[in-house]
Amino acid sequence: MSNDLVLENEILNLIKSAFNAEGNVIKSRRVEVFVKKDQVSSVLLFAKEQRGYIHLSHSTCIDWIEEGEFELIYSILSPKDKIMLYVKTRIDRDNPVMENLDGIWHQLNTYEREMREMYGIEFPGLIGDKEFCLEDWDEIPPMRRDFDTVEFARKTFYQRPGREDAKDVRKTLTEQSGEKIPDFATKYSRE
Amino acid sequence: MSFFDLKGLLQPLTGIRQFGKKPHTIKLPDLLLNTADRYRGLHHNDLEACIGCGNCSTICQNEAIDMINLENIEHKDGDSGLRPRVDNGRCCWCALCVDVCPTGSLNLTKDYIFTSEDANDFLWIPGVDNPEGNNNLSFTSDTNTSLSMYQRVPMRELDGKERVKSFAEVVLGYSEEEARREAQRCISCGLCTNVCPDHMHIPEYINAIAKGNDADALKIIYDNNPFPEMCGKVCTRRCEEVCAIEVRGEAVAIRWLKRYATETAPTAEKIKEIVNPVIKESNGFKVGIIGAGPAGLTASYYLALRGFDVTIYEAQAHAGGMTMYGIPKYRFPLDSIDKQVDYMKSIGVKIKYNTKVGKDISFEDLYKNNDAIFAGIGFQNAWTLGIENEDIPGSIPAVDYLNIINRGDSYDVGKKVVVIGGGNVAIDGARVSKRYGADVTILYRRRVEDMPADWEEIEGAEDEDIHIATQTIPTRIIKGDDGKVKAIEYLKANMVADDKGGRPRPVAIEGSETILECDTVIGAIGQEADYSWLPESFKDKIEVKRGMMIVVNEFNQTGDHKVFAGGDAVNKTADAISAIADGYAAVIGIENYLVKK
Repeated sequence: MSNDLVLENEILNLIKSAFNAEGNVIKSRRVEVFVKKDQVSSVLLFAKEQRGYIHLSHSTCIDWIEEGEFELIYSILSPKDKIMLYVKTRIDRDNPVMENLDGIWHQLNTYEREMREMYGIEFPGLIGDKEFCLEDWDEIPPMRRDFDTVEFARKTFYQRPGREDAKDVRKTLTEQSGEKIPDFATKYSRE
Repeated sequence: MSFFDLKGLLQPLTGIRQFGKKPHTIKLPDLLLNTADRYRGLHHNDLEACIGCGNCSTICQNEAIDMINLENIEHKDGDSGLRPRVDNGRCCWCALCVDVCPTGSLNLTKDYIFTSEDANDFLWIPGVDNPEGNNNLSFTSDTNTSLSMYQRVPMRELDGKERVKSFAEVVLGYSEEEARREAQRCISCGLCTNVCPDHMHIPEYINAIAKGNDADALKIIYDNNPFPEMCGKVCTRRCEEVCAIEVRGEAVAIRWLKRYATETAPTAEKIKEIVNPVIKESNGFKVGIIGAGPAGLTASYYLALRGFDVTIYEAQAHAGGMTMYGIPKYRFPLDSIDKQVDYMKSIGVKIKYNTKVGKDISFEDLYKNNDAIFAGIGFQNAWTLGIENEDIPGSIPAVDYLNIINRGDSYDVGKKVVVIGGGNVAIDGARVSKRYGADVTILYRRRVEDMPADWEEIEGAEDEDIHIATQTIPTRIIKGDDGKVKAIEYLKANMVADDKGGRPRPVAIEGSETILECDTVIGAIGQEADYSWLPESFKDKIEVKRGMMIVVNEFNQTGDHKVFAGGDAVNKTADAISAIADGYAAVIGIENYLVKK
């Protein structure tokens, strides 16, 4: 295996110049590119049809809640060059719509249905049942970071009797030491 | 096809030849396939290693983990005494609890089969209900990949070669970004608060810093510590020794975070603006405070807030007590003391400097003119070394030496200095001498790991090229022809295990006398209080027990109910944070005694 990352830099520079994109060689056999939302299909088609990235490995989403964005990642592989290319794009979190790309790889249909259910991202024209894994879900999509898992568990699953002797650690410690936490400070105590 | 199909009849019989062969299938239950390496089965908890921090319970998204009391497990320093119990009916084996367990005591095993007709049996106490699980661990946590952060944000310091040139502060303090990052490492368990003598609200103020609310952090700190910048710079920080993260990593830098919070208020006015204290109307009671050290200042501050008329009588020209005159300025600068004392004055604390009780004003007068007295007199007098020629010129106790330097006078230590002792005072004496260009050696009876000094101080001394000669017992000071110190003689020692289970003690090696030439010998083996201010007539009520400690009750009240005491002369730990705790306890005591009686 060569260590000078020739093939990695070649695909990176091709995409960077052709699509005016940003990107990095992460390490050997791993390249990432950041492209605009409406360029994703062109980049994927270019990589698949012309550069041998014929295999879709995976597609997933990251919730950048602080930045008000979702990041979509398409991981595609060239069996010839043995390089994994991550095509990444950001979409607006308040209006999460992404082009349906299952025409390029039909496997994307499954990933897109999953992302629709778990993150609430719409893919116009996507064929497939709205319900993917979840049944009768009427909460916000559960993989969004503002979904309160604890609150959901609290109201969905009943508390078994026999757990009433549970202690709060911080409170137990103050009882042991005699420490008095002032009222204005308790909002910073552990829940 | 004929009616009688012979082939079809006989062919199945060929299967008989398989008879007697070993089957390819496995036999249950003897031969279960191994689970994956990181399989997430039922929990196991090492009850000895667990410290009851409750981080597992906090992170559980299914509320499946309770912290409960168990028989035979008592709380102690650094252990809440609680242990986790898992409701396996709610658990989804995500293993977040294992990932964030700071001690690594909680793990998941390979076991995944558990059956019971009673649903309540699914409520498990890991480690109690499956003690054998320890041999079957599968999913364990790794401090390198855990969500908990085990590496401390490093503190920036002046370089060793640079700092010995002056008394500039060595520690540079956290930037805002560094403080936020460090504060986020805290898991808010609160184990630290129990060992803090003052029970400061540590998780709360660290959390406030983590959330970017420095003003709230400062307010929380001032709830029971009016001298926090001092603590932020030089506290003995027993809190960090019991930090849950310390078990497998580096303790949260509690002291540096407190320092950061106090530095967000650069002036006394700014402190007042942020803390915005409620000062009660005068209640007409007068309290006299002896000594403007941490204990006296703390009592004064909270008494003044509660409407008492408070006056401190301080023998020296400056407030701060030992933190002013004992701690070198490169650790705790003068303007930092002034800022905090100015703030206390701004809320009504009065200080009379250069007024020594027993000399400039009599204790009887003080007693007569006040409704209560608080004595925070500190440990002023050094213990003597008890060796020959200790009193000749060139031999000086560290507290006296530090006092001279800190009040701005000079003392010529010459070219070679020997410091005797292993505590913070010894290190201070050594590092100050180094700043005057001397070649410094510390003689200490035991090993480096036995030194009571703060490890950062020891490292600081080593960085500054101070030689620490361990297992050495000084035997005499040798006088030169000029009548001054010429050298010191010491014996080397072996460490011998203590039969009674105590720490190993040094035993001198016969014939190992070594002579080390030096110009100055600085003794730093301990201090005690000076009770010359206390008139004989009070001594039957105010008891001073062996070891020169004043006897007090839980509110720091002495046998004379009008007189309270705190600080080094009262508590065994003899550090500033204990003095602050004493001052605070006395405030409650004085209030109970005068207002609520």
